[in-house]
Amino acid sequence: MQAVLCTLRAVLSPTTYCPSKPWLLGAGTIQKLRMGPALLLVHKFTEKHEWITTENGIGTVGISNFAQEALGDVVYCSLPEVGTKLNKQDEFGALESVKAASELYSPLSGEVTEINEALAENPGLVNKFVMKMVG
Amino acid sequence: MLIPYSMKNCFQLLYNLQVPAAGFKKTVKNGLIIHSISNDVYQNLAVEDWIHDQMNLEDKPILFFWRNSPSVVIGRHQNPWQECNLNLMREEGIKLARRKSGGGAVYHDMGNINLTFFTTKKNYDRMENLKLIVRALNAVQPQLDVQATKRFDLLLDGQFKISGTASKIGRTTAYHHCTLLCSTDGTFLSSLLKSPYQGIRSNATASIPSLVKNLLEKDPTLTCEILMNAVAKEYAAYHQTDNHIHLINPTDETLFPGINSKAKELQTWEWIYGKTPKFNINTSFNVLYEQSHLNIKVFIDIKNGRIEICNIEAPDHWLPLGILDKLNSSLVGSKFCPTETTMLTNILLRTCPQDHKLHSKWNILCEKIKGIM
Repeated sequence: MQAVLCTLRAVLSPTTYCPSKPWLLGAGTIQKLRMGPALLLVHKFTEKHEWITTENGIGTVGISNFAQEALGDVVYCSLPEVGTKLNKQDEFGALESVKAASELYSPLSGEVTEINEALAENPGLVNKFVMKMVG
Repeated sequence: MLIPYSMKNCFQLLYNLQVPAAGFKKTVKNGLIIHSISNDVYQNLAVEDWIHDQMNLEDKPILFFWRNSPSVVIGRHQNPWQECNLNLMREEGIKLARRKSGGGAVYHDMGNINLTFFTTKKNYDRMENLKLIVRALNAVQPQLDVQATKRFDLLLDGQFKISGTASKIGRTTAYHHCTLLCSTDGTFLSSLLKSPYQGIRSNATASIPSLVKNLLEKDPTLTCEILMNAVAKEYAAYHQTDNHIHLINPTDETLFPGINSKAKELQTWEWIYGKTPKFNINTSFNVLYEQSHLNIKVFIDIKNGRIEICNIEAPDHWLPLGILDKLNSSLVGSKFCPTETTMLTNILLRTCPQDHKLHSKWNILCEKIKGIM
């Protein structure tokens, strides 16, 4: 289980992208990386530390280990309503930790299809499950 | 480069053109100190938003001083019903604002100085800023015992909070702002920041109440003017820049294009109340009617400041069942707000029989319900 924030139905079709370094998934993760000629599962980090995995036009958004470590304990997640339409770079929410509200920016243009409801009750989940990079 | 006329006086441009007194030396760090001429909390918060959204602060940090007429300011993810006495605020004409940074609820009046440190995200450092303030305080009064805590509070004599902190981190810029209590009305502060509302269940960020004290109480020489000048001096020294406080007018559209619409947005019901995280009220109150006590149960779910689920229960014999059902269903979808509720309940009352007793019971009930809003 990954601490995803939300999923977006992407306006643009996902580009195939082969990471040069393998991704090692953190403890407790059940997410699999599928490789193949039609690479549908794509994982990208924006330089702003939101990551996105796209599959069949649906993108899953979360924040990187670096970002969650820098934030400290997350005490509140503010996420958009399902159905909200976002443009790439739009501010779509915020994470709060020790009095700092840190903005979240959309890595893609799209429509929010699902949000991680568990984060409303337990915002600390953002700190617990992460994607780690190896290499 | 052609600059559109409307941008010619724009704040960013003026800042870019500002030549540091020492000339273009690489070692010279830039910095600008500004002070708002307005005491309107919404206009001042809009300045913060404007600088944060519009300005490139690379090598150009800014220190912003501002003071507000009596207002309560809550953090971005807070619940005003949980944080303050809204009824008292309405009676006394105290403004309520929701800021865009995190943190808890504070009371501002002219005895409180707000300081905002604008930097690039890279240079964001709350502890550095607080240390600067402490140095400034000690420069005025070396005997003063002020320390920064791990939660970024400033404590006087190890026990009294004189400053609280909050911040916002964006894509490339960040700001850290804090209060500084000089001569605030402490009694009023305590009563305003005490919520009378019972039975609220919410995951909004909650404030941590603290014992506060004014610096002026500790030392009568520590006025707002003296303190602002001391902090400005320390900031100028640290950034090797002019110790000059520039006055700015937050309503000046030539200086800050688009700022007035930001100030307007901060005053909307949708922002102040509508941004409250989803919450639930589960409470009851006693009503005295003709020498008997009645228990009214209230169960309300509120999302985006509007009532999603409404269940007000009263003893069967007291009010006809039909009317309570009507009340519950008409409140669904309406703002959790006494003004809107008054309007709705008045409309409902007109559909009822002209029964004096019924009307009197209805008014008692409605007053109680509005009392929790």
